[in-house]
Order: sequence, then C-alpha cells, then structure tokens
Amino acid sequence: MDVALNPASDIPQRDPATVMRLARLGSFHQSRLSFMRILTRRMKREGWTFSRPVFEIDAKGVGHAVYCAHTPDRTYSLVAFAHDLPAEKRSDRVIAEAWDSTFTMFDGVPTAADIERLRANIPLQEAGRVTESELSVSRANRSVRLWDYMVSCLAEGQQPDPAEVAKVGYLMRTTAVYGSGKLGAADREVIAARPECAAPFQIEMLSVFLTRTYVRDLMQHMANLKGGERAVTLAPETARSMGIGNSTGLGMAPFIVNHPMLFNNWISAREEAIARVRNLAAASATDVTLFKGLLVRSAHSAAQWRSEHPIQIEKLQELRQDMAALSAHVEQAELQSDRPWNRLYQWAASNLGVDAQECLASLMLEPYGDLVDDLADTMAHTQTNTFRINGAMSVSRLIGILDDAYGWALDVDWDAKEHCARAWYVSAEKLEPRLGERFEEPIAPYEQPLAPGRDAAALRAALADWAPDDAIAAFLLAHPEHRHTVRRAQVVARAPYAEIRDNTIGSDLLPIDMLRCKLSFFGATHFDPRSDRWVRICMFGNAPYPEDLQSRDADFWPYPNGTVAAS
Amino acid sequence: MSYSLNEIEALAKRAARGGGLSWGISEEAAKAVRWLTSHGLPGGEALAGLLIQNDGIATDQTAPCALDGEWRASGGALCPLSSGSAINDCAERLATGTDISMRDVSYPLLVVPFAAWAALHITAHVGVSWGGLRVVTDGNGLSISDPDDALLVTKAPQLSCAQVTTATGALSQPLSRGEVSPGAWATLNDFAQRTYAPATEASRRLGAGAGASDND
Repeated sequence: MDVALNPASDIPQRDPATVMRLARLGSFHQSRLSFMRILTRRMKREGWTFSRPVFEIDAKGVGHAVYCAHTPDRTYSLVAFAHDLPAEKRSDRVIAEAWDSTFTMFDGVPTAADIERLRANIPLQEAGRVTESELSVSRANRSVRLWDYMVSCLAEGQQPDPAEVAKVGYLMRTTAVYGSGKLGAADREVIAARPECAAPFQIEMLSVFLTRTYVRDLMQHMANLKGGERAVTLAPETARSMGIGNSTGLGMAPFIVNHPMLFNNWISAREEAIARVRNLAAASATDVTLFKGLLVRSAHSAAQWRSEHPIQIEKLQELRQDMAALSAHVEQAELQSDRPWNRLYQWAASNLGVDAQECLASLMLEPYGDLVDDLADTMAHTQTNTFRINGAMSVSRLIGILDDAYGWALDVDWDAKEHCARAWYVSAEKLEPRLGERFEEPIAPYEQPLAPGRDAAALRAALADWAPDDAIAAFLLAHPEHRHTVRRAQVVARAPYAEIRDNTIGSDLLPIDMLRCKLSFFGATHFDPRSDRWVRICMFGNAPYPEDLQSRDADFWPYPNGTVAAS
Repeated sequence: MSYSLNEIEALAKRAARGGGLSWGISEEAAKAVRWLTSHGLPGGEALAGLLIQNDGIATDQTAPCALDGEWRASGGALCPLSSGSAINDCAERLATGTDISMRDVSYPLLVVPFAAWAALHITAHVGVSWGGLRVVTDGNGLSISDPDDALLVTKAPQLSCAQVTTATGALSQPLSRGEVSPGAWATLNDFAQRTYAPATEASRRLGAGAGASDND
C-alpha cells in the first residue's frame, strides 16, 4: 500500500477537551487498535496453531477441557471446567458463587497435577487461589434460552434458525476475566516483555477467544449426547456469527480513572491514528472501495444491534439515521484527493451526532493498517516514571496545568447537590465497587478518589494561598490530602488524554459511558445496557475460529455480512 | 504466604487509607510495600506495625514540621511514609550532595523505597543509614550492609539519606512475588476493612445496578 503523507502534516490530534467528554467516550466504537483485533492479526501473522488435548465432559455436562494456543515461542493453555449449575444460582453479579463454566489461562501446558490443583480452586473463583503459573481466572454463564434451543435443534437433526441465534449472539457470557495478579495469578510485569503481551489485555482476549471455541464445542457435545445418531453439526456460518457475551458492571468504570497513564495511551494511540489518516493528501481507489464496503457492513451491524434500554434505543436510532446520511454523503463525495479523510471527518463533525462521528473515525483507519497498526505497541503503560511527584515544580506551573486540563471543573459549584449527588465506594461485601447517592446513603466517609474534577477544583483553591514560586514539595507537606490530585495533574500535563474531562459524581452521570469506552478498546460491539450502570456486549462475534484463522479474514471480522480481501 | 505484587500493593493501599493516611500517601505506601516485598524484605509487616502504632494519631503530628535542617515531627516520631514522600519530592537535594537527616523515625525500613525512587530520578546510588546499618539502592537493586536486627527496628533515633559515590558491590534484584506473614496480612486486612462501606439491602440492590434476572 502506498501512503502519501502530506509533508505539511499539520492536522493535530483532536483536542482532549473535545475527546474526553463522557458523551463522546460513551460513543466510542471498536477500531483496528482494539485489543481483540491486535490479537487476531498477530495470531494469523505468526501462524499460531491450536490443539485440544483434553475434552472429558460427561452426559450431565460436567468435566474439564484444555485448549492450547501455540505461539512461535511458547504455549498458553485455557483450562475449562464445566459445571451443572442450578438455575437459582445463575447470576452475572460479582457476588455470585457458582457458574456454568470456570476457566484459567495456564502459562505453558498443565500437568495432571496442575489440573487437580486447579480443579480444587478455579471453580471457586474469588474463593480459590492460583499461582504464578496462571495468567487469568474467569467464568461464564449460559444464555439459557439460546443454549437450550440450540442443543434441542441440533439433537433433533435441525439447524437452529440464524435469526433466533442473532437475537442473542452468544451461547455464554463471561462475568469476569481477572488478570494481573488477581487471586494470586502472575503479575502483568511477569509477561509484559513478551511480544504477544505488549498490547494491553492480550492474555484476557486470548482467554475469551479460546472460551468461544470451548463453548461451541461443549454445546455440540451436549447435542450429540442428547440426539445420538440423529444429531447434526452446527453450520459453520451460524457458529461463526456467534461471539462470547460479556456482562460488565460498575467494577470496570473506576479502572479508567484509576489508570490515567494507561487510559491516556489507549486514547492517544487512536487519536494519533485518526490524525495520521486525516493528514493523508490523497486516497487510492482501492482504499476508498475498501472503506465503502466496510461502511455498508458497519451500517448493517448497526441495524442488527439490539437493546431494550431507552437511552440506547435513542442512541441507536440516531446512529442508524446518521449512518444513512453518511452513506448518502459518501456516495456523492469526492474521496480521493485534497485530504479526503479530513474533509469527510469535518463534514461528519458538522452534520452527524457523536456516535456516528466516532464510528467514522474508527472506520477511516481500516484501509491503513500499514500506517497505524504500529501504534498498538504504544498502548501499554510502560512509563514507570510517571508515578513520582515532581516536588520541584512551582505552584504557578501547577496552577497553569490545572487551568488548562481541568478548566471545565473550576467554575462548577461542587457544593450544589446535583454536581456531587453520587459517591463511588467499595462494599464490604465481596469488595465490589458501587455508586451510591451521597445525600441518601451513609457512604461519604467511604468515598473513593474517583472525582478528579472536584478534587482539582479543591486543589486549585488551596493553591491560591501560596506564592507562585513556592515548590510543590512544601505545599504537599502542609496539604497531604492533595497529593493524589497533584500526581494526577502532573500525569495529565504530559499525557493529555489521561483524564475524563467531565463530572464523574453528578446526578446525571451515566456509568455506562465509562464502560462502553473501555469495552470499545477491547473491541466489543453491540453494547446493550441493562441499566445505567450495567452493560452486556458481544466479543469475537463473526471472528474466525482457531482452525480457520489462516483460511479466513482475520482482520475485518468485526464487520459482519460478506467478505473482503484480507489486507 | 506467597502473593502477587499487585495483591500486596492493592491491600497495602487500602490498609494505609484505612489507617487514616491521605489517598496520595496511601498510594505511595502501597508501592513502597510492594518494592520492599519484591526484595524479600518485610514491608507488609512494617506497614502493619506502623498503622497499629499510629492508629488514631493525626498525620500532621508525625509528618516533618519543615524540610530544612534535621527533619523532626511535632508530636513524637516521624512517619516514614510522609518523610519518605518528602525525600522523594526533594530528590534534587540529594543530587547536589546535600544529605537529608531525620530524628526519631518509626519503622525506618519503609523509608528505603522512597530513597530508591529518588535514586532513579537523579540516576545515582542513594544510601539510607540508621542504627549502624546502611542500605544502598540504585532504584531497582539493593544492597544491605550487615543486615541484622536494625533492619526491623520500630524506631531509629537518627536516619540519614545521601547520594553514594563510592563502589557498593553487586545489588540484589527484585523478585516477581512477595511474602507477607499471616499476622501482618490479617492486620492489613483489618485496616482495609475500614474503607469498605457496610452493605445495606438498598446498596446491594441498587449500587451495582444489575438487571433483575440473569436466567435469560
């Protein structure tokens, strides 16, 4: 692919003041830089192979299986335990104590002794304990209706109706995937130097990718046992359409506030990719054709996206209308010369809602893997020096940072009830992050530091009593309560996308915006809020299975319906 | 028991906060415990002891009164976490050859990680000395001269921190796991518990916001 970079590449990354608003972050879409796609591209490029050395599951659906992914250098094994779960115990909440299946990603190939050790711990999840040999721990519950329907169909020799399958889109949904040292597993630092772990969450994504295969195999196994000779094998097209669901609650929302540097690196990578493409002087006919094809498929995906949540229904309606308007515009627009992508983006910014703008921003990157895919390696948090506070910084410099990055927050009346109506806290029960009503529940003493805007405004006010040349070290000695916020401010001074520039404790906060932003970077599609703080998504829907990674497109799979030539 | 370093850091942060420290100091306390345990040192035990000792004492009583001359607290012994944070904030002083000395420091072992981060910042070796013992670090590695009981004292009458320019020999490198004794772990858990809001029926139902049934 020839890329004609304009020598005067003067379109900068988008302003953080625009990007980091919750309404926009909550409208993000997956892109080439999503973690699932980074993984599938690598698996294909490096020719990973896969095996299933163990599948011992009885007629009740109880037993275990092992799925191995062999990279050029090592093997990762998903160890899956299948359970017979009574319906009354099925809960997606983190407070659940039993699941349909439980999993761990083992670093290497587990021995029989390892399996027995894991069998005593993995089914217990948080109540169990793992070791440095394990890289993640996870669990999944069935979509009961679809599971029963598909097992019955196949057992009776019938193919399930693809339309019925599409209504749910997955047979099981994961309810937590723990990595990075949780429950005694290996810390991220143990694997961070491995090339396949350079991008964030690659082990967790691999775990879900293999889980999808296990779930397909388990469902088929149960249908075969039930139907005997009458049973048929699920049509590959139907299997491929299915992903793994994920049910995500509030726990994920604090993550992007608690990891400002990491969050910055995700956003910054995508923003840099968008800026590179907007700066292209021209586009080839091939690039435009690819873009147009994916735009059609993206509109098709939006048409298939279902939700019963009023907010999401409204957003979907606007997105579908905007996608139609975008498609009509693209049909008549000149897209090959005079910075075509920048012109298209600017047209969208003036004519479409933020959901469609972000969809377009992600779509524009698709023809340009050679130009943007290298940014995947910048998305992890490797800048270990950002934790240290620079105590030599002057008060006036810190004030400048606050005025620039938190300007939106400085004029807010933080004592007004509507601006501080909520408080984030951790429950004593299962240590689950929750969001409560500050003026209705006794939670304020337990508040977590998840309101950077309010805290920055308080810091700014405290600094008013200090001389411009005073060192921050002296200020912090007198005011240790601002230490957390000074650190954040110094991070955002060098990482402009580190901070959500919106109120995270206001009465109108929608935590699902924070969830969608994070999940879009995972590569999730079809966000389906179940409330303002709980969302279901689909992962790896339409992706190749391990056995067809080499024979099918391993890049454009998030866009269903039809195929395009692999890049 | 063997823990991942993230587990140790996560619990230490909540424990420090539960012990009444600010969020910012708690974050640094947690990283300090992580750093020490990765070197096989009893960081978890030291934090547990410190939190018990200072429980209920206002933090301004144990922070350095000023950053000039010999550092001392206004009411009793210096907290190694607020003193350590201040050392790191003033790391440039060490680069210019100025020593930092303190009087009456609780659990001096907890000062060492802060000196390590200062060493990383000024790209030099930094030594921390108390009770006839010297710990030298370049930020990542560590060497301890004559490790004995002084390492684990609950209070050092004098402590000094300075850039080290002489040869120090090989430094031990961090491990990927940490050990914390069951007693210290339980103490840290007790302090962490103070940061958790007691669950109510309302918070159970509303706070996490899940749907009514997952059997669909």
